[in-house]
Amino acid sequence: MCTIRCFEESVKKDFLNGEIPGFVHLYIGEEAIATGVCAALRKTDFVESTHRGHGHCIAKGADVNKMMAEIFGKIDGLCKGKGGSMHVADFSVGMLGANGVVGGGYNLATGAALASKMVLKNDNVSVVFFGDGASNRGTFHEAANVAAAWKLPVVFVNEMNCWASTTPYRTTTAVENISDRAHGYNMPGVIVDGQNVFEVYAAACEAVERARRGEGPTFIEAKTYRIEGHFVGDPEKYRKKEETMQIFHDTDPLTHFLGILPEGIEFTQAELDEILTAARAKVAAAKEYAVGCEYPDESEFYKDVYVD
Amino acid sequence: MATEVLMPKLGLTMTEGTIDEWKKNVGDTVKKGEILFSVETDKLTNDVEAEADGVLLKILVPAGETVACKTLIGWLGAEGEAVPDGAGTAPAAAAEAPAAPAAAAPQAAPAAAGAAHAAGAYVPATPYAKKLAKEKGFDLAAIPATGYKGVVVARDVLGFTPAAAGPAAPAVKASPLAEKVAADLGIDLKDVKAAHGRVLAEDLLRYIAETREKAPDSEATAEREEVKPMSGMRKAIAKNMQNSHMTSPTVTFNLGIDMTEMKRYREQLKAKEIKVSYTDLLVKFVSKALTEFPLLNCSVEDNKIIYKHYVNMGVAVALDNGLVVPNIVDADKKSLTEISAEVKELAKQAREGKLPPEKLRGGTFTITNLGMYGIESFSPIINQPEVAILGVNTMEDKVVVRNGEMCIRPIMNLSLTADHRVVDGSVAAQFLQRVKSLMENPALILA
Amino acid sequence: MRKITFSEATREAMAEEMEKYPEVFVMGEDLARQGGIFGQFKGLPDEFPGRVIDTPISETFIVGGGVGAALGGARPVVDMHFADFIGVCMDEVLNQMAKIHYMFGGQAKIPLVLRAPDGLAGGGAAQHSQSVESFFIHIPGIKVVAPSNPYDAKMVLKAAIECDDPVLYFENKVLYKETGEVPEKEDEVPYEIGKARVEREGKDVTIVSYSIGMKNARAAADQLAKDGIQAEVIDLITLSPWDKETVLNSVKKTHRLCLVSECVKQGGAMAEVAATVAEEALEYLDAPILRYGAPFTPIPFAPTLEKLYRVYPDDLVKGIKGVL
Repeated sequence: MCTIRCFEESVKKDFLNGEIPGFVHLYIGEEAIATGVCAALRKTDFVESTHRGHGHCIAKGADVNKMMAEIFGKIDGLCKGKGGSMHVADFSVGMLGANGVVGGGYNLATGAALASKMVLKNDNVSVVFFGDGASNRGTFHEAANVAAAWKLPVVFVNEMNCWASTTPYRTTTAVENISDRAHGYNMPGVIVDGQNVFEVYAAACEAVERARRGEGPTFIEAKTYRIEGHFVGDPEKYRKKEETMQIFHDTDPLTHFLGILPEGIEFTQAELDEILTAARAKVAAAKEYAVGCEYPDESEFYKDVYVD
Repeated sequence: MATEVLMPKLGLTMTEGTIDEWKKNVGDTVKKGEILFSVETDKLTNDVEAEADGVLLKILVPAGETVACKTLIGWLGAEGEAVPDGAGTAPAAAAEAPAAPAAAAPQAAPAAAGAAHAAGAYVPATPYAKKLAKEKGFDLAAIPATGYKGVVVARDVLGFTPAAAGPAAPAVKASPLAEKVAADLGIDLKDVKAAHGRVLAEDLLRYIAETREKAPDSEATAEREEVKPMSGMRKAIAKNMQNSHMTSPTVTFNLGIDMTEMKRYREQLKAKEIKVSYTDLLVKFVSKALTEFPLLNCSVEDNKIIYKHYVNMGVAVALDNGLVVPNIVDADKKSLTEISAEVKELAKQAREGKLPPEKLRGGTFTITNLGMYGIESFSPIINQPEVAILGVNTMEDKVVVRNGEMCIRPIMNLSLTADHRVVDGSVAAQFLQRVKSLMENPALILA
Repeated sequence: MRKITFSEATREAMAEEMEKYPEVFVMGEDLARQGGIFGQFKGLPDEFPGRVIDTPISETFIVGGGVGAALGGARPVVDMHFADFIGVCMDEVLNQMAKIHYMFGGQAKIPLVLRAPDGLAGGGAAQHSQSVESFFIHIPGIKVVAPSNPYDAKMVLKAAIECDDPVLYFENKVLYKETGEVPEKEDEVPYEIGKARVEREGKDVTIVSYSIGMKNARAAADQLAKDGIQAEVIDLITLSPWDKETVLNSVKKTHRLCLVSECVKQGGAMAEVAATVAEEALEYLDAPILRYGAPFTPIPFAPTLEKLYRVYPDDLVKGIKGVL
């Protein structure tokens, strides 16, 4: 979580400085979800992510240096500079990519799950992260239906951060809790506090085990809040900054971490600070690495259009 | 949208013109109606007005070059407007960006030269045909086209044999007169440069002048001489006179006319407020005579005589530095007053430089009057393509013998030059006799 | 040589590849119980139980899930009922299938084949009769093939399945029942994606086509031959990447080009060929490039109107003779 937080803060600063091209979508305030879910996964399990995918990528175990380099568009980035922030991916740790198309990930994750269960016959699990806005896309419904009908090993993790770009979810969504939809597909739907990493972890473990057993998909709705604007540079005219900051103050998963420790787990502020410092250093090193790398040159242009 | 500047067609028979002089430079602003350039034809040099306001953007055909009528010779437009380089390119292409015109530029020069040769028309041909023609050095315009839409296709180029290669054809194209003169003078036609396709007599003359040894110029002589280029009109006259001299073998016939009755006739008209000049009278009477002597009113073309069933009487008008010969159409059908008015008008227009070009064409006979200078006899040069010209000399009281007795009569000599290719001496003499008869007995004009 | 139908040829290809690669599986609508609406998958579900999967009516899942399955390590063959329906899941083709390999810097590959029956079939009308390959040759990252005969149908499908790139395999529904000669297995020559075939040599005009358009090309060539005009006929087979070299070499020889396809002429796949030839071999052309395709209308239902929608060999013959 700390790494994600520091990473996002660093990227925000660099983007506003003009060092990063394109669009960047920050995960600040939602770190607990990616962390909690990915902690329940193996390296060979898959995650499908969104345009707001830095958190998932780090949580799944991607190399932070190469991830930073990718965001800067350098040749030594995870995707050789060809993807950028919206398309970070690290297939070596099962991170199947941030998807720039909202709602583009469901079918990919479900397809991967299908391959695992019905073709390759291994027990890999696929997780697809998506927001409340994305849950309104038709792709969700096709994937959810198939996953439930065929009991595919998919976990649908809805990061209910209340905002679809500039639109508050209540104005565009037929249901109050997105997980209500799970019942329409005959799959279990659970609601967790997305700011509580332990709650998320617990729910994720259960869902992952269920999937691995071949019992089918689970829908986890993790309640959270999008603290930053939709993208870095978003003037956020559609909501009040004070309100957002108040919510952040009240729910920040990092600052409230010590307050939510489950029974039997001990952690001190000092330990937390140490982790945070280490994370900051790690991110600083990553930035230095990224800045030091080269941009891809002309010879890279036509590579990777085809495999053959 | 730029305006095309075209070689004008100044009259029905004009096929080509030579740019005598561009009156404006590229980059100059031109107003509609301003003289833009002057054109030399075989008759005359004409000033041509600009048809629109604008900046002279490009000159495609420089002074001294000859092109067919309607050939694109320049562009007028807004400053900085892009226009095509080559002659014959459609204006729509001008709007596009210019890698193409830049690449086309080296071809524009040969195109212009080719344009002079092949009347500047674009030859539609397939790309492959063009490639083959270029490789073989063929001129696309010379290749008969059998392709779709009349396009030159590859097989046309592959099956083409340029005429020059044929053994039966003469080595050098030349007019019959040029061939004769060259043979007479022992000149090899191959050495003579043809200004317009085939070698003409004027080309021979030029060649002779160029190859004649020039006298060494001493500095002293140079100081006493001044070189002045000829004006457009002078060039035209020089060319026409030379050409006429080379074309027609001429004989001049002189006959004196007793002008007593003519004088009396003129007085009668004057009394009735009708003022006519002797020239007017001559036009009337000579026109009548011409209707009876068609051989004096015809033209020659190769071995053909073109008889004209009309009389367009040309009247030479002297100008400050030259002369022009406008003609009166159907002079034989016009009344004396009509003729008189027209002669006055034409002379006025001529002196003001406002003669419409069509007035200079189509004449069938010419009268030229030097009487006011006291000339007694001269041999005027025929105004081609006519076959005769009547020179009018001074009218002078002379002592003559009538009925065995001496008396004083006003005598005016007529000098008729006729082309002996078609006008034999007896015919010319009889014509002159008839003119004399009419003028000495004016009543006959009504018969 | 044996004679089999186009449909049987695709089945043979599927069976051989599924035998060879356990990770190859098929999914689409009405495949397992019916064997495909044109019977092109008949027998496979029994031969490979569990590997021919009937999906819900979810084209987005069929194609998107296929991409996902490829990411998960499988070699999917996904099937559309009709090529027209790719419209339903355009994002899955355009933004997922075509982009993943490139935008992730080569980390992942999508060895997927998307099979789609296309073309006029007599009364199919506007939404079931289209040829849509032209949209897809415009997308970098995917390959597009369209065989015209049983032998190619088999070898091209095998090549597509073995290719590590996503391949759109357009199979004309009318061609399914046509028979053609196919060599014995040991004499089969593998197909190399991206290569065209010069089916007939000639010196007077080059006729280029693919899929069902080849029928027009062949018939036109036969008719022209009666008048002593020798047409060179080229089957592109692969539309993207297409065999530019073969076409250019042919035009340099014949100096005339005629292009024909069943798809709409405007903006059609053959326009790419025409523009390329004009760009790179202009000085070899001795005639305008001729293009024949469907008119710019949706496909009508009434037989009298559908007839007008088609291209006939006569059109080509007349056009070619007009520019000779």
